[in-house]
Amino acid sequence: MATEGKGIGGHDSLATHGGSGTGQPALPAGARIPKAYDGPLDAPLMGKQMVVNLGPSHPAMHGVTRAVVTLEGEIIKDMKLDIGFLHRGFEKSCENVTWGQCFPYTDRLNYVSSIMNNVGFALAVEKLCKLDVPVRAKYLRVATAELHRICDHLTLVAAMGLELGAMTVFLYGVEARDLIYDRLTEICGARLTSNYVRVGGVARDAPEGWGERTVETLVRVAELREMIDALLTRNRIFVDRTRGTGVVSRADAIEFGFTGPCLRASGEPYDIRKSAPYLVYDRIDFDVPVGANGDNFDRYLMRMEELRQSDRIVRQCFEQMEPGPLVVADARYVFPPKPLVYGTIEGVMAHFKLVMEGIKVPAGEAYSYTEAANGELGFYLVSDGGGRPYKLGLRAPGWPMVAALPHVMRDVFLADLIPTFDSINMIGGEVEQ
Amino acid sequence: MADQTKAPPPATAPKPPPSSPAAGQTPPAAGSPAPGAAAPRGPPPAKNPGFVTCVIDGREVVTKPGTSVIEAAKSIGIEIPYYCYHKRLSVAANCRMCLVEMSNAPMGKLMPACQMPLAEGVVVKTDTARVKDQQRATLEFLLLNHPVDCAICDQAGECKLQDYYMKFDHEPSRLDIPKREKGKRVQLGPLVTLDEERCILCTRCVRFMREVAKEPQLGVSMRGSRSCISAFPGQPLDSKYAGNTVDICPVGALTSTDFRFRGRVWFMSSARSVCTGCARGCNTFLDYLKDTTYRYRPRENELVNQEWMCDDGRLSYKYLNHERVLVAREGRGAAAREVALPAATAAAAAALKDHVAAGTLAALFSPVASVEDLLVAALVASEGLKLAEVYVGGRPDGRQDDFLKRADENPNRKGLEMVAQAFGLLVRPFADLSKALSSGRVKAVWAVGAEIPDAGAAPAFGKLDALVCQAYDQGPLAREATVLLPAAPHSEMDGTFVNFDGRPQRFELAYWPRGSSSPHWKLAAEMGKALGLTWRFQGSREVWSQLGDRLAEALPGFTWDSLPSTALRRGLVPIAAGTVDGRLPGYRERVPEGGSGDTRLDLINLGNVSR
Amino acid sequence: MAKAVIEALLARFPGIVHDAYEGVGGDDCALVEKAHIAEVCRFLKAEPALAFNMAPYITAVDYLGADPRFEVVYNLFSTTHNHRVRLRVKVPEGDLEVPSVTPVWRGADWFERYCLDMYGICFPGHPDPRRLFMYDEFVGHPLRKDYPLRGRQPLVPEREVKDIFRGPGPGGRD
Repeated sequence: MATEGKGIGGHDSLATHGGSGTGQPALPAGARIPKAYDGPLDAPLMGKQMVVNLGPSHPAMHGVTRAVVTLEGEIIKDMKLDIGFLHRGFEKSCENVTWGQCFPYTDRLNYVSSIMNNVGFALAVEKLCKLDVPVRAKYLRVATAELHRICDHLTLVAAMGLELGAMTVFLYGVEARDLIYDRLTEICGARLTSNYVRVGGVARDAPEGWGERTVETLVRVAELREMIDALLTRNRIFVDRTRGTGVVSRADAIEFGFTGPCLRASGEPYDIRKSAPYLVYDRIDFDVPVGANGDNFDRYLMRMEELRQSDRIVRQCFEQMEPGPLVVADARYVFPPKPLVYGTIEGVMAHFKLVMEGIKVPAGEAYSYTEAANGELGFYLVSDGGGRPYKLGLRAPGWPMVAALPHVMRDVFLADLIPTFDSINMIGGEVEQ
Repeated sequence: MADQTKAPPPATAPKPPPSSPAAGQTPPAAGSPAPGAAAPRGPPPAKNPGFVTCVIDGREVVTKPGTSVIEAAKSIGIEIPYYCYHKRLSVAANCRMCLVEMSNAPMGKLMPACQMPLAEGVVVKTDTARVKDQQRATLEFLLLNHPVDCAICDQAGECKLQDYYMKFDHEPSRLDIPKREKGKRVQLGPLVTLDEERCILCTRCVRFMREVAKEPQLGVSMRGSRSCISAFPGQPLDSKYAGNTVDICPVGALTSTDFRFRGRVWFMSSARSVCTGCARGCNTFLDYLKDTTYRYRPRENELVNQEWMCDDGRLSYKYLNHERVLVAREGRGAAAREVALPAATAAAAAALKDHVAAGTLAALFSPVASVEDLLVAALVASEGLKLAEVYVGGRPDGRQDDFLKRADENPNRKGLEMVAQAFGLLVRPFADLSKALSSGRVKAVWAVGAEIPDAGAAPAFGKLDALVCQAYDQGPLAREATVLLPAAPHSEMDGTFVNFDGRPQRFELAYWPRGSSSPHWKLAAEMGKALGLTWRFQGSREVWSQLGDRLAEALPGFTWDSLPSTALRRGLVPIAAGTVDGRLPGYRERVPEGGSGDTRLDLINLGNVSR
Repeated sequence: MAKAVIEALLARFPGIVHDAYEGVGGDDCALVEKAHIAEVCRFLKAEPALAFNMAPYITAVDYLGADPRFEVVYNLFSTTHNHRVRLRVKVPEGDLEVPSVTPVWRGADWFERYCLDMYGICFPGHPDPRRLFMYDEFVGHPLRKDYPLRGRQPLVPEREVKDIFRGPGPGGRD
């Protein structure tokens, strides 16, 4: 790629001092950002430190997060994050409803990719129940989850472009995302709050011709994706703002507990779909992109590449999927079919007990983790053998990244906070539970 | 009847216990179920002389000779399912649900665990594939003709068919012919309605009527799949203990005519309570939804009621719901007007105060009120009103039988006498009060509880200058009151009753007092405050902690906190009452008293938070 | 998968790491004495054969009625060896202090703050022991089993701004 010609890495005497467009080569991983001035003559006059309050309702703070930054000129000297504005007591709520009733709550964690949360939770419960779901349900789970991964990454890329001034990108991204949402609506009836997965399988089969329509949709999504790629990846402004900013070294990323694209952007090739394959990921051929610099640009590139890989995964799912049952045939965990509920005493009893008391998950505790769009989505479940979770601990993928933000954003420009905040993709729904 | 002749060890000699110290040939313990003569090699020596030692599911269990497998398994926490077995009834072994593998079974057959006594060295297995297959098959047969009724069945939610289906069967139906139809609403007696289709013919009800109620009014008629439970022709199920058959029916066949179709059990919560129908004080569960009591169920107490109660007591909950006094009233007849409770207690105290000096005041205590109510009432009577005697009201006597029901239909007469004695108050019968009223010696009465043994005496109260009446419900005495205070019955407070043989029994609050009603003790304490007393009580618990020691002699060894009160009960996830949200009974908790709406204060008060 | 981890722990910390078991799905789990958890974690991280360089999830559980009542659960992971281990620490109600592992993994920071916020478990050695989600004026710990599900706490009255970070409310706790 002839990036040099486009100005990437080239010297630009007009670029902002200290920005990556000023001619320095791309920073090695883990390097500290250089001081914002070149010599003593350039040094800014020492001034009073200023405290600026960003958010909780600020266009650049996703959702409602509040950042209090102490500025010296434009340089962030200290930063404190104040979260919890979106705290809804997810865990407490789930501990007071039946296992099955938790699914709608999980939809609202990462509301851009709800089926991934459904899958994560269902796998955790199935781990406790020692259930193995039918193969078709596994493929449907993977296909819908990967579609949602595409949605999630498109949202990130689109919002990142928007917040760095590229409105067009946002429109393309959201158009592509909504095309996928239309397909997901066809299969589960909702754009965002899908509630599609069940303990023991999935709620319903794909409608007639859904696979073909989805593949057609993916073609259009791919066109939009490539347009976004063309608009952003070599865009001088975008690269200036993202390259070399928000750098997290590989060691730091592990230390902070980063997972998912943010960890891989720092050079750690860790993807749960590869290292501990679940569902049918071991039967599917896909690559895991890994970055080198751990900066915002790499995190963006991870998303762009994962968009392509998810596209591959979904297509392979449709190729490999075969007709079959959608749920395990076990009345202890899954509702009997409605004709049996209305017509036989066995069916109505199972239905009654499952609705009124919930499935009886064997007593025990388990930690189950899946690769969600932003990283490891973990559920630590404790069951007392009753119909409701005794404890449901959520390990939100975005949590460590947000927690690390004040450490990463030290001695850097205030303006770099915005792309960094974008690229770690904080989702208030899951981080603040 | 446990048929012990089936027990002898068969040809397959039982293995000796694994690590038995060969301490000589000790003869089998007396009363051992295994008659030694039947087996050529004799029974193995007892590992624990005097007891039977055997192995259930790999765990050793030591029991008294004659213990059934089902009870022995229960004692070590192994569940063997059953329908027909009941520990207080004879063994029928007809449901076939409890079949297990036993090493001494003839020809290796599965044996009914309810009927088989344990023999020395027997190995029992309750979780093998054979046993599980048998349980599944039994359930399939039991459900074969069972109607698809859960949606309209009162038992749904507490039905053993449902429970066991989910635990032991969970297979779909294989029936492809119509189910047999039988009578859906057979009125067996005044309190019991039978749905014959739902019946699994376990005959628990038949055995109960024959063995416990000793009125054999039920039997199994017809044969084969037409069999059904029925009363004898022309003879209804009119025993006063018939209601217990509804409780012991494991399925929804016998339903209470009173409770039928009135509420779904899984919406209800239970409070541990005491029946107030008579002086026996049968232990009950009080099942309630929001602030309405729906039924009593007997609660096990070996020393009082085993696990039965009479039908009179079962229906005695109705006064908790109907015609309740919910607001205070001042003035009688046309002059009556509703007033706020503080104003009413102040007015009551003022009205009574006038008669203290003149000596024309009398106190009428009802033995339906709890010990806590009466403690405060007696305190106010003796210290605030300077009285030396109390008259005892209460409900009139009813029938008495030789099982549970007592003639005295008041739950706390003994408690009243103890409290009066503790405060040095002379207890005088109601008839004396009637005389004093007609002679004009008494011109003002303070009635704690409006129950009077003689309804005909009520008009005499209408001529009094002042009648302060604390009443649960509208009644003859409440009508004549000059100040009527709304009182909260035992379902709405924590407290204690002392039954006829001096046994103190705690009951717990089910829901907070309805309307502006308050427990008697609270009303009395408010009046005491208006009379200048300095006693203050936050709750029943505090009443007991401040005044209970006066009853220490009368009630030795009684600890009030033996039944923790609601406020202190932990481990429940509280949910505001008044929501029908499908939670299991016992999971819903009540709105904290006072209803401050501020959880912070509640937490600090409960000591859950260290600040 | 990582039986070696548990064995190494049991050998290195006899009596401190105990009751090792294989959890559902083959997870390796062990219980650790509360006072030594930081020490055990430091060993897990430093030992090259184990190299638990990440703490993906730390949470707490309230086993109301049991004694000890609370439990802190450490889910640890090694990116180099791709193995995981789960350590559980029993925390009695009377002594809610667990040595912080934030000095071991900086990623533990918010997880421990979360346990403080939701369960009231303190982590001596934590650099920034504040509530995470709830505001400072909030009384109680919402995920404790005895905290009412629909408990309501009044709005905090607006007060003079003393500290831009703390915002309206009593300053000085930051």
